[in-house]
Amino acid sequence: MAQVDITVVVNGQPTVVRANPEAPLETIIPKALEQTGNTGQPPDNWELRDAAGTLLDVRQKIESFHFPPNVHLFLNLKAGVGG
Amino acid sequence: MTQVVDPTVSKAKFKREIREFQTLEAEYRKRGWFLVHAEFPKVLVVLAAPQLNPPALVTGVAFDYTNYDAEPPAVRLVNPFTAEPYPAAKLPTQLLRAVPGEEFTLPGLPPGARVMSQQALVQFHSPDDVPFLCIAGVREYHQHPGHSGDLWELHRATGAGRLVRLLEIIYKYGVQSIAGYNVTLVPQVNFQVGQVPE
Repeated sequence: MAQVDITVVVNGQPTVVRANPEAPLETIIPKALEQTGNTGQPPDNWELRDAAGTLLDVRQKIESFHFPPNVHLFLNLKAGVGG
Repeated sequence: MTQVVDPTVSKAKFKREIREFQTLEAEYRKRGWFLVHAEFPKVLVVLAAPQLNPPALVTGVAFDYTNYDAEPPAVRLVNPFTAEPYPAAKLPTQLLRAVPGEEFTLPGLPPGARVMSQQALVQFHSPDDVPFLCIAGVREYHQHPGHSGDLWELHRATGAGRLVRLLEIIYKYGVQSIAGYNVTLVPQVNFQVGQVPE
């Protein structure tokens, strides 16, 4: 199956990640982090949301989300332990 | 605060934050984020809640990127109209976050059941204090004596102090979670006087 390009905005910095649509969505996270030089925190410490701010289940296959061609997903470092 | 880092460096990093925000400004505006002022080292973003009817301006967020990124930005919740920092007593949101509470045992519940408790991500000591955001990546957090073991240098390379990352957290805990308006009505009952006798 053809690969798909997904724009991932990592802490505000956009990068285009090429992905296999049959792979889980979580596979784009390490690529997006590597491409933007965000290697200081493991992928588990990041959360992926759509443009509306909805948290995405990254275990689902990419094709199951039916993303439009110019989709932007937002990858942000979690808040961590506060207080 | 005095700029001690080479201003060329801080300004270049500041401009990157603003440029990246502006690249996706239309996306952010749909969420209710409005960049209303950006002049080194200060940024003011107003966060609205478009999910409400009528929509509401919830808070302003003031950033100070002096010495960035040798130091993290200072972040305050401010009045969106005056840009004055909110004292704790007037905060429109305390950025509440659900965290697992203590385990407890009750008849009818499985052992080790937990309740979720709420933790505020803004911290203060008295109602007149200007609260600070208690998350890594914020200057006031790293300057607090209680966080001397969690140095900014441990977070600097992860983008913890970046504009959009901090806005995402404030939005998630302070704006996106607003489901509606709370309206408190206080009926008052007293006597309606008819014709007043002479």
